[in-house]
Parts: sequence; C-alpha cells; structure tokens
Amino acid sequence: MTPQLSRRDLFKLSAAGILGTSVSGWFNVLASRAAETQARHKSCILLWMDGGPSHKDTFDLRPGTDQGGPFQAIQTSVNGIRISEHFPRFARQMQHAAIIRSMSTGEGAHGRAKYYLHTGYKEGVGGLNYPSLGSIAAMEIGNPQNPLPNYVSIGNRSYGSGFLGPRHQPLNVVSAARGVENLRPLVAQQQFQNRVGLLEELEQSFHRTHEAGTSLSHRTTYQRAVTLMQDRGARAFDLSTEPSASRAAYGTGAFADGCLLARRLIETGVTFVEVTLGGWDTHQNNFNRVRTLSGQVDPAMSALISDLRQRGLLDTTLVIWMGEFGRTPRINNRGAQPGRDHYPRAWSSVLAGGGIRGGQVIGRTDAEAATVAERPVTTLDFMATVCRILGIDHTKMNQTPIGRPVRIVDRGANPITQLA
Amino acid sequence: MATQLRGMVVALGLLATAPWMMGNGQAQSAKNAPKLDAAELAKVIDREIQARLNEEGLKPSRLSDDGEFLRRVYLDLVGVIPPSEKVIAFLDSSDPNKRAKLIDELLDHPRFGTYLGEMWAGMLLPRESNNRRLNHKPMQTWLADAFKNNKPLDKTVYDLLTATGTQEANGAATYFILNPTADKLTDNVTQMFLGVRLQCAQCHNHPFVAIKQNEYWGMAAFFTKTRLSANPKQAAKQGAQVSVFEGAAPPKGKKKSNLPQGAKIVPARFLQGEQPKLDPGEPYRPVLAKWITSPSNPFFAKAMVNRAWYQLFGRGIVNPVDDMHEGNFPSHPELLKQLTEQFKANGFDLKYLYRAICNSQAYQRTSRPVGDNKGDKEFYSHAAVRGLSPEQLYDSLTAVVGNPGREFSKGPKNNFRKGPASPRDAFLNFFRIEEGANPLEYQSGIPQALRLMNSPQLTGAAALNRILNETKEPAQVLEKLFVATLSRRPTTQETQRYTEYVGRQADLRTGFSDILWAVLNSSEFGLNH
Repeated sequence: MTPQLSRRDLFKLSAAGILGTSVSGWFNVLASRAAETQARHKSCILLWMDGGPSHKDTFDLRPGTDQGGPFQAIQTSVNGIRISEHFPRFARQMQHAAIIRSMSTGEGAHGRAKYYLHTGYKEGVGGLNYPSLGSIAAMEIGNPQNPLPNYVSIGNRSYGSGFLGPRHQPLNVVSAARGVENLRPLVAQQQFQNRVGLLEELEQSFHRTHEAGTSLSHRTTYQRAVTLMQDRGARAFDLSTEPSASRAAYGTGAFADGCLLARRLIETGVTFVEVTLGGWDTHQNNFNRVRTLSGQVDPAMSALISDLRQRGLLDTTLVIWMGEFGRTPRINNRGAQPGRDHYPRAWSSVLAGGGIRGGQVIGRTDAEAATVAERPVTTLDFMATVCRILGIDHTKMNQTPIGRPVRIVDRGANPITQLA
Repeated sequence: MATQLRGMVVALGLLATAPWMMGNGQAQSAKNAPKLDAAELAKVIDREIQARLNEEGLKPSRLSDDGEFLRRVYLDLVGVIPPSEKVIAFLDSSDPNKRAKLIDELLDHPRFGTYLGEMWAGMLLPRESNNRRLNHKPMQTWLADAFKNNKPLDKTVYDLLTATGTQEANGAATYFILNPTADKLTDNVTQMFLGVRLQCAQCHNHPFVAIKQNEYWGMAAFFTKTRLSANPKQAAKQGAQVSVFEGAAPPKGKKKSNLPQGAKIVPARFLQGEQPKLDPGEPYRPVLAKWITSPSNPFFAKAMVNRAWYQLFGRGIVNPVDDMHEGNFPSHPELLKQLTEQFKANGFDLKYLYRAICNSQAYQRTSRPVGDNKGDKEFYSHAAVRGLSPEQLYDSLTAVVGNPGREFSKGPKNNFRKGPASPRDAFLNFFRIEEGANPLEYQSGIPQALRLMNSPQLTGAAALNRILNETKEPAQVLEKLFVATLSRRPTTQETQRYTEYVGRQADLRTGFSDILWAVLNSSEFGLNH
C-alpha cells in the first residue's frame, strides 16, 4: 500500500463526489461517515515540557550527592526503578512506562532545540521547513475521513506541517477550557445552514466555470471546516460535558484540562495530540519551580494513563513526556534561589503505553548525571523509535513541493529495539 | 503526456545553443538587439506565447472581462481589491485605452511600493526562531521606497548587498541583522538574486546540477567579513541598535564566528565563475554585489525577470522560480531571453517590466478555460486561479468590512517584540503560507476557514449598514454588495436568485448579511482569478 497516494486520491475523490450533490450535501456526509468503521491505528499524546525540564530533579536523580539537590528518589511499581518523590502517582504506573535516561541531542538554544526535537531536522538545514512529528503521524497513520483534524495542539502553537502542506497543519487550541476558536457559528443553526447553502451555490458556480484545482481545494477546506463545526465528535472539545469525578482526577489548571481534552480527542479518533506545559526553563529557583510543575504533571499524566487503560486505549496510544533538553547537572550560582541551565548532552524522556514493553529504563548516565554512560539516544534515534512504536516507516521518503525526496527521519537513526 | 514529450524534445533541441544555459558573460544580449518600449515588449510576449500555444495545439481563452481584469491587476500590483467607486468608473468607461491607463495608474499608486516592499522583505528575511521577534519593518520601508521611486533594480540590489550601519540609519542593514550567518546569506542571495537553490550544496554536492559543495562555501566566503556590533536579540531586548560592518578578514584556514559548524574554508569564488582577487584590507561584499548586478552576470537579470513573471502568473518561465539550472528547462526559452535583454536594455526598470507584462494579452486573458485548455498550466492559454497571499486577503477583507480593531496599544517599543504588534500582524501570522508553496494551490486549512466564517470581527455589519443607508431596493443593495466585494455587477440570474432569497428571510438585513457572509467566504472572493 502506498498510503500517501491512495489517501490523497481518496480525498480528491470524496471532494469530487460532493460536487454533484445538493446544497445540503455538506451536512449529509456526516451520517455516512459515522457509519464507517475504521481499523484502529495507533495514536500519540505528546506532553511537551516547554523550557527543558531538569532530568536530575525528575527521572534521573542523584539524591545525597553534592549537586543532587534536595529531592528524594522513591520506589516505583517496578523493582529497582526510582524517580522523584514528586511523581508519587506516576510511580505506581511504572510498569506501563519506559524512561530513556540517555537522551543526547546537541542543540542547547530553546528555539533550535524545540524545532529539532519536534521535526528531527535542524532548523534551516537544506532551506526547507520540516514537518513536525504530529504532522507526520497525521499524514502517515491518520484517518483521512476523520472530520476532526488528525493533529491537535493544545496550549501552544507548536510546529506545523512544513513542506507537507496545509492539510496536515495542527488545529491549535489555545485554551482547553475554551475549546477550539471560532468553532461556533455567529448565527443560529438554521440561518447558518442557509448561509452554507448560499456559499455552496457560489462555490459550485465558480468551479463550474473555472475548473481550477485551487477552487476545488478552497471548497474542500471549507467543507471540512463546516463538517467539523457540525460533527458530534467535535463535542469532545467541550470539557463541560465530562463527569466531574473523572475530571477531578486530572487536577486543576490548563495542563490538567489539556490532558483531559487529549484523552477525549484520542477517543474520537484523533491521531496526534500535543499538550504543552511551560515554565521548565528554571535558571533560577529551580527546586521550588520543579516541585510545583511536577505536582501539575503527576496527577494529570497518571489520570491520563489510567483513563486510557480503562478504555482499552493504552496499548494503542503512546504517551510521550519530554522537553527540548535537560538541565545542567551542576547547580548554578544565580542568587539566593539558584537553578540549572540548558543541557542537551544527557537528559531523560518518558514513554508510556503504545504497546511498548513497560517497566524499563533505557540507557544510563554517569554518577553526576552529566554524560551518557550507556546507549546514547540521539534526536534521530528518538524520532525513529517513536515512529517504530506508532507503526510509521521512518525510512520512507516524502516529497517536497518541488519533488525533492526527504526521509521521515534522516539517515543515521538507530532506533531503540528493546521497547517493542 | 504527448505535450510533455514534445516539450522535452523542443527543450533538448535547444540544449546546444540555448543562451540561458551559457556560462559567465556569454549570455550577454547581442549588441544589435533594438531597445523596445513596454507596448512593443507586450507584443513580443504575445507572439512567443502564441507560437508555443500553436505548437501545443492549444486554443487560448478570450480576454478577461473588465471586472475580472480590474480585480486581478489591483491584487497583483497594489495587493488589494479595487474600491467600489473605481469598479463603477472602470466598468462604465468606454475609453478603449482604459486598461493601459489603469496599469500606469497602479504603477504610480502609493501602495505599489509598500505592497512589493512587504512581499520582498518576506522573501529576504525567512522567519526562524532566532529572528522572528526582531524588527522586520525597516527592511519593508527601505524596499518600499526603492520600488515606489522605481530605483533601477541593479542599484537596489547593489545597495542592499553592500549595506552597513544600523537599521535606523539604513533599513537595508536589516538583511544582515536578521540573516546573521554566512550560510543564511548565501542561501538567500543565491535563491533570490541568482535564481539558484544552493542550500543542498551546503552539505553535499548538488544532486542534479554541476554545483559542488566547494562552490557553496566559495560564495559564502564573501560574507565572512560581515560582522554585527552585538547579538541582535540581546541588543533588541535592551532597546539598543545593532550595527552591521565589514570586519577584518578571517585568518587563513581559520573559521570565523559567522560560519556554521561543518563549513568548508575555501577562497571566495563567484558561482560557476572566476575567483576574484580580494584585497584583505577592503570589504568583500561590494565585490560580490558588483558581480551579481552587472549586466554581464549570467543569472541576475534572468532571475529577476523570472520572478516578476512568477508574481504575475503564479509560475515562472523557469519553474520553480528559484530553481534555474541546466536540467530545468524554461517553458518559453526565447521569451525569457528577450525579456531579460529588454530588462537590461531598459536599465533594470522594474515598472517597465510590469507594464509590459500587464499589457500583454497573455496576462489579460480570462481565467475561464475553453475547449480542452483547462489542463494547461504552463502555456498561458488562460489565466491561473491563484490563492491570495495573507496580506492580499487581509487588506481586501478589511477594505470591505473595515479594520477589525485598533493597533495594539503596546507597539514595539524597541526592536524586540512579544506577541503580534497589530491585528494585521496577528492575521498574517495565523494565515502564514509556507515559503516556496505553489501559488496555484490553496494554502489555508481548517483553522483559517473557521476564522473567516466565524470571527465576529469579519461580519461586515458596518459595511452592510452603509449600503442599507443608501438604498433599500434589493436589486440595488445586491449590486453595491457585489461591486464592493467581487468587483463586478451581479448577473441577471444572480439578481433574481438572491433578491428572492432575501425576500424569504425575516428582513432585508438578515438576508443580505447571509449573502455578504457567503460572498466573503467564496472562492471568487478568496482567490485571485
């Protein structure tokens, strides 16, 4: 199967199929789509820790050492794996997760590192704008018939589809509590249907006389947007319909709401959801800030994992916890409440679910958590690993608009094999 | 398929002699080529286009009607749809020269410079994480002045490439502040001014062109003396100005800070040309600038002509527009040659070039296909239907519905900003199009469509009120509404259909607000056709 071609053709066909139908055609597609059953592909939730979390104060601790900081390591559900005391709930789910303690990625400036860890390519290289993991997943394993976009980014504009084009752009949700911007019509439902009817007439008449690809895709884009507005699945965006008990487990705040929304979207068939938690750039006051941030992550991430599990979705949904780099193993001397600075050389990320073999630690750092002592995981290795777990062939070539072939993950990747 | 094959044969036939392929200096125009005025050049365009259509057995579509032409030429030359009074005056004028006159008028329109300046600044300053919060505006203003005053393009580019000083004193310095390394400058200069994508040669020899990795770093070497007085981001945060200057030559074999990791240290050499003698005591950039903007440069004039053509047609005579090399044949080699010669003979006069192209029948054809020419995308049998740029869309929308809000109160105090400076910037950011994206493809997605359909700022209630204050006669309201948005009068069927629709609604305002909504979201409004 060549997914790119067949999906694109399908897309064109479905758009063309609508050309002949009546004015209300845009509304009718919904019913037929709801009836379809789709084989379930894997999905992914990226919990993006913006700013670069300190590995030494989260998942790779050195308690009691000179530069170890004040946090204690606690026992997890897996014998021998210890993590920060500020992740007590997640510690009980360690059997579903793997910690990679040997990330080593080479980019130490926020902008460039975020770009690199989202796309697998260094910013500006080759004069191309590369697609992010979310867009790649949406294109490769997303259901093209899904009325909801297959890539949703919550709390952050994130990184887009680059040369893959507008169809795989993320739908950005600024605030999970407020939902998708401009999703509701400005007028009552009946009047909105009238308007869409008028629009469809104009579109048909323009396309009949011009027969241009541009007008066809203009029309298809609007049709998809209207479909989303009318779709039952779009109710997933409305958190007020969630029972208060299950909502409470996530904790409070934007990140908790984001994780809850992520679960609801995955349930409706969205392929990739990114949820951002900012504030990890702890040059100062590192320990208080990491404690607070961990306190937001712990309930939300563990509620997410147990909800997915309860719904039978954990095996098909990979949850990634990561930032753009780690932080210096040494504590800096910035004032009374010092912090740690940017550190891409050795740091940690966490994977859970997605059918991986949990309860593992991949790689190891040295006594100070300063250099990788075992199994360095580069950005390419990491991207290829995620692709493997999601069932994406990371060696596949995609085409840029001028027909230049670009691999999903560049040459030189050595994916982690003991997770499968 | 047959068409493609024939194109290949034609192109191959030219292989041995095509002047656009020749090396340094040889592509100079024959001395005896007569200098043509814009009207004469327009005829050359039509002759060449027609010859190729005949060869392909394609029938051209008829000329555009007045409204269609008016809207297109407004969008292409000043970046916005025409105002209602202009539409009425143009549609009702019986002057046989009204199209040529309108082209002249728009080339002198105050927006011509600002529109082109903003477009060029966008191409010259690719957005990256390191520069997206820096101040782009001085570059736009500097370019806008040059375009408005029709400064010869060779002079503009020379002044740009040799710019020094602060953004405040010299807007062109922005180019070096926002592209702070030798590799970024090399990428952009070769892509923009030589029409060649050199980026892949940064890391390896070019896959299909005879450009070796060393040639990339040979070009980059011209920028190794370019220095900034401070880190732009830090300086901007402190409200300080950064100054661009030419520093000392890097010591032999030694890497300098503005070259990236993995750079090759080679002597400066013109692309596929000679290795000039450089005086280590003198700046390097003027040497490069002089070579690029010389009439004998084999790339520059051709690349500029191809870019102007691309802007007006949505595709280059060599396409993609910045991928000119031996393996990428022009669709109309003789036309490209003549345009290039005349552009040089007329002193790199950009308005002259625009004037000639816009006066051609090829440009003025309708975008409606006829017979079997609808599949044609490269022979100009009919005008292309192109997506609007975010700037064109915003300016056209607000020309109808009014400005959605005042400028944000916290404007950029210095050269570093957090968040968008204005509703327009926010819109442009939201609708940003991937660099190098094909204008013949619609580039917006679902979030953008949702914004256009459901944003309370874009309802156009004020515009509708204005019209309803003038008249309440449904056919007249409809006409005013169409003229203001689609730059044409409604057809008889449309008048009948939509006045009927309005009659069925609760009141006039509801009915017409529905029609205005549909029109503003339609292909006919959202595309350049």
